[in-house]
Amino acid sequence: MNLIHLAGIAGLAVVTGLGAAQATTLDEVKSNGYIRGASANEVPYSYMDESGTAKGIGPEVATAVLKSMGVEEIQWTVTPFGSLIPGLKAKRYDFVAAEMNILPDRCKQVTFTEPNSSYGEGLLVPTGNPKKLHSYEDIKKDPALKVAIVSGADQIDFLHDLGVPDSQIVLIQANADALSTIQTGRADAYAATELTVSQLVKSGGTGVEQAEPFSDPVIKGKPARSYGGFDFRTDDKDLYDAFNKALVTFKATEDYKKILISNGLSPESVEAARTKKMEELCAAK
Amino acid sequence: MHWTHYLLPLLKGAELTAIIGLASTALGAVLAFAAGIARVEGGRLLSWLALIYIEVFRGTSLLVQLFWLYYALPLIGISFDPVTTGIAGLALNIGAYGAEVVRGALEAVAPQQREAARALNFGWSHTLLRICLPQAIVEMMPSFGNLAVQNLKDTSLVSLISISDLTFRAQSLRNVTQDSVTIYTMTLIGYFAMALVMMAAMRWLEIAVRRGPAFPRSAHG
Repeated sequence: MNLIHLAGIAGLAVVTGLGAAQATTLDEVKSNGYIRGASANEVPYSYMDESGTAKGIGPEVATAVLKSMGVEEIQWTVTPFGSLIPGLKAKRYDFVAAEMNILPDRCKQVTFTEPNSSYGEGLLVPTGNPKKLHSYEDIKKDPALKVAIVSGADQIDFLHDLGVPDSQIVLIQANADALSTIQTGRADAYAATELTVSQLVKSGGTGVEQAEPFSDPVIKGKPARSYGGFDFRTDDKDLYDAFNKALVTFKATEDYKKILISNGLSPESVEAARTKKMEELCAAK
Repeated sequence: MHWTHYLLPLLKGAELTAIIGLASTALGAVLAFAAGIARVEGGRLLSWLALIYIEVFRGTSLLVQLFWLYYALPLIGISFDPVTTGIAGLALNIGAYGAEVVRGALEAVAPQQREAARALNFGWSHTLLRICLPQAIVEMMPSFGNLAVQNLKDTSLVSLISISDLTFRAQSLRNVTQDSVTIYTMTLIGYFAMALVMMAAMRWLEIAVRRGPAFPRSAHG
């Protein structure tokens, strides 16, 4: 390979590197005519229905907020939950609308908007709740119990904080696998948010039920409550600021409340989402 | 939900699977010949480069290769759209396996053939193209058929880098309806049907190559 070829390739690498260093701005998005969003296909937070339309709390709020910003079209990508942040960093899309729980570790990787939703935890168990599980703490009681969790979900951290060993945790690829995992007995319970679990039961799952009564796991002295938000790349300050501002404005409206309630959130959860601040959640230890 | 409702989305996915399968198999064949010939005929440097390519792509998991091309490469500035990335990943992977097939077949050509070609003043490329390859290709075809079908089934992994292939459509449908049995059975049948077509095509190619203007491999032809 002679010097000219080497110089050419080096130049190309520099140019593509520079290209990658540019942040996405609101003007860029507006001139493109569309913005790219990601979803993890989890009913009811963010999913695709049969016709391929994005539905759920995340997409519906995002659509309304982006419309108020002048962006009409969103191109959606569905990706496994654990790949949402890597994909965002690799610029495969411009924001994530999966109602991802705002956690300090995640805040180090991406920038979250103000919380968009608030939800508690839940357990999916076989009908009749044979192992009598009513909280995440109950899983610790019997080392033979296996609990399924979606890879990358924060329930893994909750269980670790409660002292549940990895030998009791079964990781599954996506929420859609949860029903089969419980029905075929590969796990005794599926740990996810309360809405996710109630949706799985509603979707006609036979042989399963939501564990009732259920008490949220008490992590570091407080019952765990999750707050979902939109993720943006830390570099995209301009786009993020514009979206965040529009989101905060939208959160005060009736339409916002309607979207959340229609997707199954309680009025208390709506109020919690309206009042909590992102900085608080990212700074928590 | 009746299975007829699943048919259209699954067929759309199957179309993308077929396109990705064919494109990556064709590109993989090119890579296989390039690397295989480099291993056998190339000088020290080319042979080493080919060896590194073959060992790296045979020795690492295809899924991890796809993830690396899709998520890690953009972080150093090289990014392609999902379908291109998927085709590239699959082609590189199957090309590495194919290269070993090419190498084995070329080395199986009797050395006497090369000596005779040398004596008749055949140049290097002339020997390769007119003497060695025609005989070697007949040897390679059954293994190539195997690899082609394997590649078609490997395309299901691109569903994890957001490509709407057959597997991805199946997963999406199942997410909404939770009808695992019907959907997955239909998907299996879909892959089987495509694999059958691929196997028939490769068999036809095998016969065509054998009947082609090649020296008879043995008295039995």
